[in-house]
Amino acid sequence: MEHIDFQKLKTGEVNLGTSIMAVQFDKGVVIGADSRTTTGSYIANRVTDKLTHVHDRVYCCRSGSAADTQAVADIVHFYLQMYAQQTGAPPPVHTAAALFQKLCYENKDGLSAGIIVAGWDKEVGPSVYNIPLGGGLFRQPWSIGGSGSTYVYGYCDATYKEGWNEAQTVEFVQNTLSLAMARDGSSGGVIRMCVITEEGVERKFVPGNKLPKFWEGAEVLGKPVSLATASGPAPMAVEPL
Amino acid sequence: MPGAPSQRQFNPYSENGGTILAIAGQDFSVIAGDTRQSEGYSIQTRYAPKVFRLTDRAVLAVNGFAADGNMFVKNVKQRLEWYRHAHAKDMPLRAIARLIQTMLYARRFFPYYVNNILGGIEEDGTGAVYSFDPVGSYEREACRAAGAASSLVQPFLDNQIYYKNQLAATGTAHPAHLPLPSVLAIVIDSFTSATERHIEVGDGLEIFVVLARGRSLQGLEGVKGMSELTTTDDGERVFVVRRELKKD
Amino acid sequence: MAFNNAGFDFSNTSRNAFLSEKGLPLPKATSTGTTIVGCLFKDGIVLGADTRATEGPIVADKNCEKIHYITENIRCCGAGTAADTEFTTAMISSNMELHGLSSGRKPRVVTAMTMLKQYLFRYQGQVGAALVLGGVDASGPHLFTIHPHGSTDKLPYVTMGSGSLAAMAVFERGWRAGMTREEALQLVTAAISAGIFNDLGSGSNVDACVITAQGTEELRNFVKPNERVQKERSYTFRRGTTAWKTENIRDLIVSESVKMVGGDEMDTS
Repeated sequence: MEHIDFQKLKTGEVNLGTSIMAVQFDKGVVIGADSRTTTGSYIANRVTDKLTHVHDRVYCCRSGSAADTQAVADIVHFYLQMYAQQTGAPPPVHTAAALFQKLCYENKDGLSAGIIVAGWDKEVGPSVYNIPLGGGLFRQPWSIGGSGSTYVYGYCDATYKEGWNEAQTVEFVQNTLSLAMARDGSSGGVIRMCVITEEGVERKFVPGNKLPKFWEGAEVLGKPVSLATASGPAPMAVEPL
Repeated sequence: MPGAPSQRQFNPYSENGGTILAIAGQDFSVIAGDTRQSEGYSIQTRYAPKVFRLTDRAVLAVNGFAADGNMFVKNVKQRLEWYRHAHAKDMPLRAIARLIQTMLYARRFFPYYVNNILGGIEEDGTGAVYSFDPVGSYEREACRAAGAASSLVQPFLDNQIYYKNQLAATGTAHPAHLPLPSVLAIVIDSFTSATERHIEVGDGLEIFVVLARGRSLQGLEGVKGMSELTTTDDGERVFVVRRELKKD
Repeated sequence: MAFNNAGFDFSNTSRNAFLSEKGLPLPKATSTGTTIVGCLFKDGIVLGADTRATEGPIVADKNCEKIHYITENIRCCGAGTAADTEFTTAMISSNMELHGLSSGRKPRVVTAMTMLKQYLFRYQGQVGAALVLGGVDASGPHLFTIHPHGSTDKLPYVTMGSGSLAAMAVFERGWRAGMTREEALQLVTAAISAGIFNDLGSGSNVDACVITAQGTEELRNFVKPNERVQKERSYTFRRGTTAWKTENIRDLIVSESVKMVGGDEMDTS
């Protein structure tokens, strides 16, 4: 049987080997992404904006091929402009997500695009939709994507709680992305975030030297832990002092 | 296609660019090479010698895969030293040529990835050039270019040294051998031209000159950037001329 | 052929696939294994390019032009397959001119960028053009990179081509926000020079182009750090050097005799 290799990028293609996520809270959604774009091992753009505007209250997070996701987002942007003009009302998030899904599903042979659509509309309030590689469409309270996401599924499962406010959600997003960027070589740079609520879209930015820090192996890099004084096991201490 | 068989292989060879050439005169031999060493579009170093003095009468230029070339020269030098210890004299040029053949052919099925050009003075005092393929086939010639820009330089040498496609003026004949200053000029022009049109050639130029026993400097004394490398005072003499080439 | 479809002609694709399967590879296209850069400064954009074009390891052109005209206030540097960059930029330039004429407005950089990315995306990387697009329009200065597959980036300083890593190293070291024209031009020259001297695919001269709201300044061969040295010998050949087998001299002057037929000569006064 002929298999389609979704993962394979065309040679020389610009890749968004990415960490992206979106989380809903009572008043809106928080979306976030790292800023790294690569061609092979070269970082073609270290300050990329992967949070792409498709309408006033609907954004998407892009992962996979830069060319494919930009093209798809541009088309959806066009459709949503037409929608708003013809109906006289802003499009629901689900409509945007359905358009993304249609394009990703019907052109699955030629695209490598993993997209998270998130935003706010007056019908259902905040919502997050995940559209993974094959062109499925799944509504989720939180969603992560890109190559970096595989490292932080456990963290998200263990940490996420319903009923968070905006500040708690923003903190969750930047902690998750920071952890993903630390483990995934294809992710990195800065964290870009957007808080989308009824009132508007607020952009947030965390520079690369201000990322939240977690355990980074101080026992190894800093002063060696003496086996004699250490209370617990000393990880990676090779020679006793 | 997943499931389809695929094969992976380690490739022990690479190609490091650069060009070498040698021209034999009546009583001298000129052996030259650029000093750029590259891989792909990157310069590894702007000064990696490709031409080596073996004895006071023999100079070897090696081009191709640099690691193999350096190892090969090292081995040849060791064999020549053993010869000196055994026979209390330097090995004759034609013998070095035959030695190189056997050393190359010994690796027939895992060859040194190099083209060799050996230049120097024969026992009869004539200038000589020997050129080798990677597995040891060799031939004595009046001139030879090898390496990345050989396809650019060899036709030029054929035209200027062998007078290919040049008719002599009526009642005259082409000279059998060119004087040393003319040969040096042709060598320098070969390399400046190859530098213009071949991306792997440039940075520096080293020209070795071997003079037969008791011969005058034939204009060499006036050449800028020249220095002598001779170790004995009653035999052949070896000189090197170093020049800059374009670095783009 | 009576009818010609617009766009590319694919009629030889199956023949060429058969030929390359039988061991006859396609002819090598001239590639501009290149260094091209762009840099934002206080009043506009500086674009830069080297001038070497290659065919494999051979230098095909020592002084080619890689900064292409799009409109009076927009220029585009091209890397990759020379034919693709030339044709693509020429076509977009033409369409931008028509767009400007029909809209009656000064064309914008984003318009050129969108046209280029949509064209390149349509050909899925088969059109091998890697571009640096820069210009100044009603909304200010803009600088983009466009990759062959159709992805774009908007950045204050950009590099492309085989020398892009060498050039980017210079930018990452030296770029500051709000540079003057002279500082930006100096930095672009240093970035292109890094490509010229450290990347074998790039070489010869530095071309630059400064675009501001006041106008565009083309600085062709702004720096020439690689002039050919004087040859040691003269290579003019004596008359009669080339051998010949037969000699045939033809008179190329056509002589006509005019014979008047009937009537008087025409009055041409």
